Amino acid sequence: MRRNPFVYYGKKALIFLLSVFLLSVTVFYISRLAPGDPLMSYYGERVEKMSVEEKETARGKLGLNEPIYIQYIRWVENAIKGDFGISFKYKQDVMQVIGSRIGSTLILGGTGFVLTFVGALLLGILCAWYEDRWVDRLLCKGGTLLSCIPEFWLSLVLILVFAVTLHLLPGSGAYDVGYKNNVLNRIEHLILPLVIVVLQHLWYYAYMIRNKLLEEIGADYVLLGKSKGLSKRKIMFRHCLRNVLPSYISLMAISVPHVVGGTYIVETVFSYPGIGALSYESARYHDYNLLMVLCMMTGILVIFCNMIGQIINEKLDPRIKATEVVETSEVTEL
Amino acid sequence: MTEKELFTVVGIRPEPPAPKKKVKRLKGFPWISGILLALILLCCLFAELLMTKEPGYLDLQNFNVAPNGEFLFGTDTLGRDIFSGIWYGGRISLTIGFLATLISTLIAVVYGSVSGIAPGWLDALMMRFTEIFLSIPGLLMVLFLQAILGQANVLSLSVVIGVTGWASIAKVVRTEVRQIRNSEYVVASKCMGGKFPHILRKHLAPNFIASIMFMVVMNVRGAIGSESTLSFMGMGLPLEIISWGSMLSLSEKALLTDSWWIIIIPGAFLVTLLMCLTNIGNYLRKSANRKESNL
Amino acid sequence: MSEILLDVQHLTHVFRLDKHAVIKAVDDVSFQMKKGEILGLVGESGSGKSTVARCIMNVYKPTGGKILYRDIDIGDKAQLRKHRKMLESLRQIIFQDSTSSLNQRMTVADIIAEPMSIHRMRPARGSLRAEAEFQLSYVGMDASYLDKYPTELSGGQRQRVAIARALSMEPELLVADEPIASLDVSIQAQIINLLRHCNREHGCSILFIAHDLSMVEYLCDRVGVMYRGRLVEIAPTAELYANPRHPYTKALLSAIPIPDPIAERSRKRIDFDEVSFDRDGVLTRIAADHFVLMQEEV
Repeated sequence: MRRNPFVYYGKKALIFLLSVFLLSVTVFYISRLAPGDPLMSYYGERVEKMSVEEKETARGKLGLNEPIYIQYIRWVENAIKGDFGISFKYKQDVMQVIGSRIGSTLILGGTGFVLTFVGALLLGILCAWYEDRWVDRLLCKGGTLLSCIPEFWLSLVLILVFAVTLHLLPGSGAYDVGYKNNVLNRIEHLILPLVIVVLQHLWYYAYMIRNKLLEEIGADYVLLGKSKGLSKRKIMFRHCLRNVLPSYISLMAISVPHVVGGTYIVETVFSYPGIGALSYESARYHDYNLLMVLCMMTGILVIFCNMIGQIINEKLDPRIKATEVVETSEVTEL
Repeated sequence: MTEKELFTVVGIRPEPPAPKKKVKRLKGFPWISGILLALILLCCLFAELLMTKEPGYLDLQNFNVAPNGEFLFGTDTLGRDIFSGIWYGGRISLTIGFLATLISTLIAVVYGSVSGIAPGWLDALMMRFTEIFLSIPGLLMVLFLQAILGQANVLSLSVVIGVTGWASIAKVVRTEVRQIRNSEYVVASKCMGGKFPHILRKHLAPNFIASIMFMVVMNVRGAIGSESTLSFMGMGLPLEIISWGSMLSLSEKALLTDSWWIIIIPGAFLVTLLMCLTNIGNYLRKSANRKESNL
Repeated sequence: MSEILLDVQHLTHVFRLDKHAVIKAVDDVSFQMKKGEILGLVGESGSGKSTVARCIMNVYKPTGGKILYRDIDIGDKAQLRKHRKMLESLRQIIFQDSTSSLNQRMTVADIIAEPMSIHRMRPARGSLRAEAEFQLSYVGMDASYLDKYPTELSGGQRQRVAIARALSMEPELLVADEPIASLDVSIQAQIINLLRHCNREHGCSILFIAHDLSMVEYLCDRVGVMYRGRLVEIAPTAELYANPRHPYTKALLSAIPIPDPIAERSRKRIDFDEVSFDRDGVLTRIAADHFVLMQEEV
């Protein structure tokens, strides 16, 4: 039984669309049904002084009076046309608000992701290479400690040390006033948040690599390799790493939302103008249109990365394919 | 030879008596972490005996005081005594940690068992959902839920953290249940007439409890961490309810006045607690693995 | 002629793998077991022996056919419900893999007492623990093993515990699903003798499933040979070993090594041609108690 690639990817695409649809319905309903007044975010303090009729007209103007499913249908209609409504809080087109912020997050999250990916791989290999020697033990202990420190507190301590006490690095914002286009200034502002993002994730993946490598090293084929006289380096890089990499890559694909989208705490602590801080605000102030788009973006990213991870797993790892073949051959034979 | 003789020759040859078991139950137990954790727990439980000041009292004459003889850990920007707050607030942090974990574990055991017993397609669907759930940044989800729910209290915060933290435990429960369900000792038990409650009590539960203990401890750790993060960001407990997180929410102001003790002291307690839990969790994981591979 | 304990009639069991593929694990198998008899069931792996055992134990629901245990149709829901308790205590099973058939988190005492505690039986020797100790001594292990976990025992000891658990209910029918396949030869002999002892002393009937033909010859009164889900030949042990009729049985028997190097050298193996296997034959009686699967003569 050979799979038709059109059927294969078609199926995936269909599942993807269905998930996105379900996601949008869920987010829409939950955000609408939750307590809290969206008028607050649009009119701010003025709401309290408005009369009942004024509130009604305001709600009507924003389309908040109709049944939720009609609101939803209208939202989908507009969304297909590329119109996601305006942000109640910023009184701007949602896409504009997001567009002005997304660059910073992508730089922070993207750089963080790449550094984590490479760093974890190197650290993992280092630890596995020196298994149970002092390098490995030190790194393991350090990693465990690091994983126990809440992100926000680490940020605070770093700000306290490097910005407040030592005055070495800036502690907030993406650039100083008047230095908007100065690359160096921006890099300076990026260092501390980036360190936090990387430190937060690095250890988890490095530890995974280490353990998977050690698992491989314990396998019989490594013993065979050793008895054939292969060097440790060859065994590690040619054989063990080759078996570990596919699952690592697919895990990293799944982790994209975690790392790239997980910058909201850092962004908030460092007042870094990115999507993370924005989504936190939109949830807090019931900025429906903005919240909806942000949720959809996160959700789509999550589902998409999950699928990519799955496909990578199926395509890259010959072992998975092999088991499939065995199963089908068994079935046809009997 | 007769039947009887044959039997004595290669029949049930008696086994030598079993060697005495050496009691090595707590091999590798992280004693330092265990004692520290016990100390923190006891101190928080009997906070009233330790507190030198009323933890919520706003001492307007002594705000931002560095640690000294009277205020052992100093006072915060509102003039509250940090030493008293640590023990009093630790109680709230721990309560949330345990309550949230209880909720997560309950959901996880039910969800995992259902998925483990369910037919293939439903199981696949449920696990797919869990995976997607897992890849959403957990704190982000808590943040959204809490933002939508509005002002938090101890219970609502525990519920929100609880309902977002069950997925990884559920996965383990499901794997265990699926594995055990098809194992021969369950088949044997069924043959003997064991009904589902008996199998659940005698076979399923002991097995998955051992393997989720580690995750449950880690879940407590995660919940306490989430509480502090949320409170710090102003989405969790308000300032009046003292917890380690809400004490840290004054940090931004502390940064401006360079009052390191407001940031460092509650944080150090937090990190110590999380570290102790991690070490104990790791010990539990290792001992569960050892038992399984000890063939 | 002693009474018939178990009557398997046209038993068929089909596994459905997915929408398209099905496996006929057991295909129209019929045989009878008398009370107090040891019946061997041999065949290569995948020939459906274990499936037959599991159908008899009500683990699998047969796709077709009937299994009568003392005239109770165990495939029939109403009859099964009525006699469930009796059936569950009279039939016991021993599995091949003692590692997985004993729960690693229970002590030996708990494992042996499990069937008794399920049926809330009043232990004849005072307590469940005393009962477990007695059963353990019966299989040659002393009380010092009671508080051990299966992982602390050797394979042979584990299998003894599994047998002790089965025997604690004083079963009438013992289904032994390859109980010796993963054991050392010396331990195999002990287990075989133990089973034989149970049969001789307590009159317990045994359905013994194995692929070791010499052990089967030593232990069993009658032997059935299975191939690809079909029972191809069944006869008293001496008759079958002396006078095999089905080509598969011949091939199987020719594969037994002879413990004499000179004779072993001249032993000729008969190959069985899989293609020539005729699934559609009928079990035909060719001698007093000897049935062979063959094409019906018209």
